[in-house]
Amino acid sequence: MLMMSRREGETILIGDAIEIVITHIGRTRVRVGIRAPRETAVIAREVKLVRDENRAAAVAGPTRTALTGLIARLPAAQSPAETLE
Amino acid sequence: MSTLNTKNLGTISWEPGSEIEFPRGLPGFEERRRFVAVRFTHTDPLIFLQSLEEPALSFITLPVRAVDPGYRLAVAAADLRLLGLPANRQPRVGIEVHCLAVLALRETGTTANLLGPIVINLKNLKAVQAVAQAGGYSHQQVLSVQETAAACS
Repeated sequence: MLMMSRREGETILIGDAIEIVITHIGRTRVRVGIRAPRETAVIAREVKLVRDENRAAAVAGPTRTALTGLIARLPAAQSPAETLE
Repeated sequence: MSTLNTKNLGTISWEPGSEIEFPRGLPGFEERRRFVAVRFTHTDPLIFLQSLEEPALSFITLPVRAVDPGYRLAVAAADLRLLGLPANRQPRVGIEVHCLAVLALRETGTTANLLGPIVINLKNLKAVQAVAQAGGYSHQQVLSVQETAAACS
């Protein structure tokens, strides 16, 4: 992985089309501005993980065998505070 | 009472007032905004989130604290505003919001997505999948039967 040190207000270029600006450095967070072509998706890595996980969860679908196996491993009772009415 | 013939859950029926609205959809399913939560006695404590716009789309979920009793919710201020909740504090799970983890049934075992819990405002049934920015939670948390049993007992 390429490592670069940058100060607030400084910029990193990726190719000719993508520009990353360090706009603010806080105590625990860094705010960055990103200029990229419209067709380039820019999302946080966590969002990609959740998106991919949603797709996997939906595509797999609950087969009867898988569901039966899962339920057998879970208790029958549930905390009332968590119950959807 | 409305009804829908679904792919995974058969024919379901629900009252119009029980529809859950995801104003932003879910990551990967941004155009799917309307869901209902479906429970069956024989699959308790699972909660199925069924899309009302795509009969083939449903998710299997569990209450987050059935997966991890010590789970700490960290919903971003923008998401709290979308839910119609105060943005200056975290909502109380089970009182102000329901918090569900989406399960993925894999050949290697079932995992729960604790990185992106589904948070539902109990008052207005608006919901978001709140991607946690802190807390170190996994998107593929292996289900621990012991922890689940303890939370549900």
